Amino acid sequence: MVATMLVGCGGSAEEAAPSTDAAQTETKTEETKTETAETAPAEKQDVALRMWGAEEDQEMLQGMIDSFVANYADAANITVELGVESESTAKDVVLTDIEAAADVFAFASDQLPDLVKAGALQNIDELDAAIQAYAGKSVADIKGANAPGSVDAATANNALYAFPMSADNGYFLYYDSSVISADDAKSWDSLLAAAEAAGKKVGMTFASGWYNASFFYGAGFTTGLNEDGTTSLDFNGTADYSGVEVVKGMLNIAGHPAFMAIADGDISNQIAGGSLAAVVSGTWDATAAQTAFGDGYAATKLPTYTVGDAQVQQGSVAGFKLVGVNAYSQNAGWAALLAEWITNEENQKIRFATREIGPSNINAAASEEVAANIAISALAEQSAYGVVQVVGGNYWDPTATFGEMIAKGELSADDEAGIQTALDNMVAGVTAPVQ
Amino acid sequence: MEKIKAGLNSFGKAIAEFFKEFGEAVVKGDIFVKLSLLWMGAGYVRRKQYIKAILITIFEIAVLAFTFGFAMEYVSKFGTLGTVRQESVFNMVTMKNEFNDYDHSFLILLISLITFVIWAVSIVVYLGNVISVYHLQQRAKQGLHINTFREDVHELINKKFHVTLLFLPIMGIVIFTIIPLLVMILVAFTNYDQHHMPPSELFTWNGLNNFINLFGGGGMTITFGYAFVRVLAWTLVWALFSTLTTYIGGILLSILINSKKTKLPKMWRTLFIITIAVPQFVSLLLVRNFFADGGIMNTICANIGLTGWLRDIGLISTSYIPFLSAPIWAHIMIILINIWIGVPYQMLIATGVLMNIPAEQLESARIDGASPRQIFWKITMPYVLFVTGPALVTDFVKNINNFNVIYLLTNGVFVTTNQAMANSQAMETDLLVTWLFRLTQDYYNYKMASTIGIVVFLICAAFTLIAFNRMIKGDREETFQ
Repeated sequence: MVATMLVGCGGSAEEAAPSTDAAQTETKTEETKTETAETAPAEKQDVALRMWGAEEDQEMLQGMIDSFVANYADAANITVELGVESESTAKDVVLTDIEAAADVFAFASDQLPDLVKAGALQNIDELDAAIQAYAGKSVADIKGANAPGSVDAATANNALYAFPMSADNGYFLYYDSSVISADDAKSWDSLLAAAEAAGKKVGMTFASGWYNASFFYGAGFTTGLNEDGTTSLDFNGTADYSGVEVVKGMLNIAGHPAFMAIADGDISNQIAGGSLAAVVSGTWDATAAQTAFGDGYAATKLPTYTVGDAQVQQGSVAGFKLVGVNAYSQNAGWAALLAEWITNEENQKIRFATREIGPSNINAAASEEVAANIAISALAEQSAYGVVQVVGGNYWDPTATFGEMIAKGELSADDEAGIQTALDNMVAGVTAPVQ
Repeated sequence: MEKIKAGLNSFGKAIAEFFKEFGEAVVKGDIFVKLSLLWMGAGYVRRKQYIKAILITIFEIAVLAFTFGFAMEYVSKFGTLGTVRQESVFNMVTMKNEFNDYDHSFLILLISLITFVIWAVSIVVYLGNVISVYHLQQRAKQGLHINTFREDVHELINKKFHVTLLFLPIMGIVIFTIIPLLVMILVAFTNYDQHHMPPSELFTWNGLNNFINLFGGGGMTITFGYAFVRVLAWTLVWALFSTLTTYIGGILLSILINSKKTKLPKMWRTLFIITIAVPQFVSLLLVRNFFADGGIMNTICANIGLTGWLRDIGLISTSYIPFLSAPIWAHIMIILINIWIGVPYQMLIATGVLMNIPAEQLESARIDGASPRQIFWKITMPYVLFVTGPALVTDFVKNINNFNVIYLLTNGVFVTTNQAMANSQAMETDLLVTWLFRLTQDYYNYKMASTIGIVVFLICAAFTLIAFNRMIKGDREETFQ
């Protein structure tokens, strides 16, 4: 466990260093860009692109499009048509008809495996030369400029398939500091005890493979995607604890009178309901939590939980928003440049300034304004324990069911054989080939 | 059954007659009729029907051009559904991807199918053409009048107006119902799923594997068979209960409102109709939130101590009442909520029917000393059943496919705790149709969804045929009288 934690921390520190180099190369290659633009004025193309973004972002994205068109005005006559498509549903719409989908679209990083599998995303590495020629930076520069986790999340089969846009799609702990002290928030045991003493509850979604994986990841378990699209679960390899021990830890939390299992998607309602003193959620609930907790509004990394005799830091799924290029785009090159543009350092800063969306760009994330944002800094704190979750389609239903069984108390902490059977069933379902 | 047999028999006879006529035309026809086998316009030219000749020639050329210029490229690959995978290379100069000439399995399937339909229609037209040219020859021989084009057109708006009138609806059914239906049926025999999704990947024929998976077992990894039986059982239970409860509820309610003792009947009727005025999905989503694990209903029940009492007597084990999140509770709640949604519709229908019951029948029954209960069972119910019987059958079939109520009430609230169900993406509250929806929408498992679709179709078709055959027999009216 300690080893994985160290690797996690070490990784981010290591990757942070070359980012300054990246920034320098960026400024250096600025000049080369203007050169290429000058050498090729004769063949100025007409380029029509379509882009999809979230409804709330439309005005901001239009601003970014305008600056993109102006920036490349010397090289091409670009027109961009902006459409509405939420990042959370992009995959469904794109996969319905890939050839009719927009050239550039934003999506949540957990959709990447499915999109790559369906061949919907353009391999960005293949466009390296084009991006170098026009944007004046290489794909390696882009990888260096963004947080390593976000680059991992955008990578499949060792190639970059999307541009990291934001690092805000993870969860952490919101709490009401008037009820729960910062010390109480450090472990589930003290957290639940403090909430019970105040007659309040602590909420978390168990019936979702996205949330309940946090306990398993914390104990050193891993998930992965096999070549054939099936999911692999490693519950024994590097883990220091057995699956049964972790489940017992989860059952202890779920069985506590002050714990409230919240249905997936119902968290905002429950926060507004006012019976919660602390809740596991993400930046999308920042406003709701702020309203509910008032002056006591605080956020921090997830607590530790008890496995056997030890306290284990709860992990989490590190989620990101990415911008991808349609592999069937008529103008893949320019589409990639547009995707690069709306995710570059400058525009990530704009995104944070207008919509408070946490940047994945290292320089943008290092700014004071970002550090002052309670939710985003809690997310950054948790990101040290975050795991990029790459799983296949069969992962979700069996894990949701497993979480629901724990939340409903259908397993008992005393019944080790029962827990083992349930775990085996879940693993069988998750790792099953697609039928 | 005899009716169906008779229907099939006469259908077969009609086809045999058609081919017999064609054979006769080919054997006994003159040189122009025989020439029509090659050039469809030949016979018309001989009889000086030049416009008809031109039109049928254009049709012939169009079918041939479509077949050899466009369709053959796809139809020739129908056996494999394509073999060339998509590949692309980025071209730095044009800033575009250059693709190879790749196969798109779904387009191959779809265009082949459309071609087959066009071919089938063309063959009928082709054979019919020879026959009609032969008829012309016979008329000419007998010295009868041969229609000019203008007279032919005139006939279509007068004598043969039914042909003109039916042309559009039949085209509509072929394009919007039959072709999609056939595509769905074909997909059930392929491996079209998330890992075989065009345009990037190819899919191919899979034989009966999907049906074997649906009906067979195979341990925890292949649980479609396990889930299918349970989903089917709940689908039938739901269809039965939801149909009966709303039907009976609607009749009772309308009798109650129509009763002379009820004051302000119009107000009551209006109140119930208001539930119809609110869009169904709005009220369903609201009700779902009311009864969610953390919803208002649960807060109220916890505050008045109902939750604690239920837990004390061992009915629930959770800190909330799982109205919509435990299988049995959810099943009962869904049927109850459906009563509230469905009764007003049935009430409207029943009101209309009740008002039409011959008053003298009720009057004479009363004079003969029948009790209100007897009147209800001996006169009212048979009458209502007789009039609304067909609607009841339709309702049952509609409820088998009642997507809205089930999906809107359980989506996001109900999570199954049955691991074998979860492993095939099903839930206890799923109808076949909602299961099918989630398989396509969330898992892109088109092949299994199509297979389930075929099963749903068969169940509905079988039920409708049997029920209609029994209910609407010609002699029923006399029995009632």
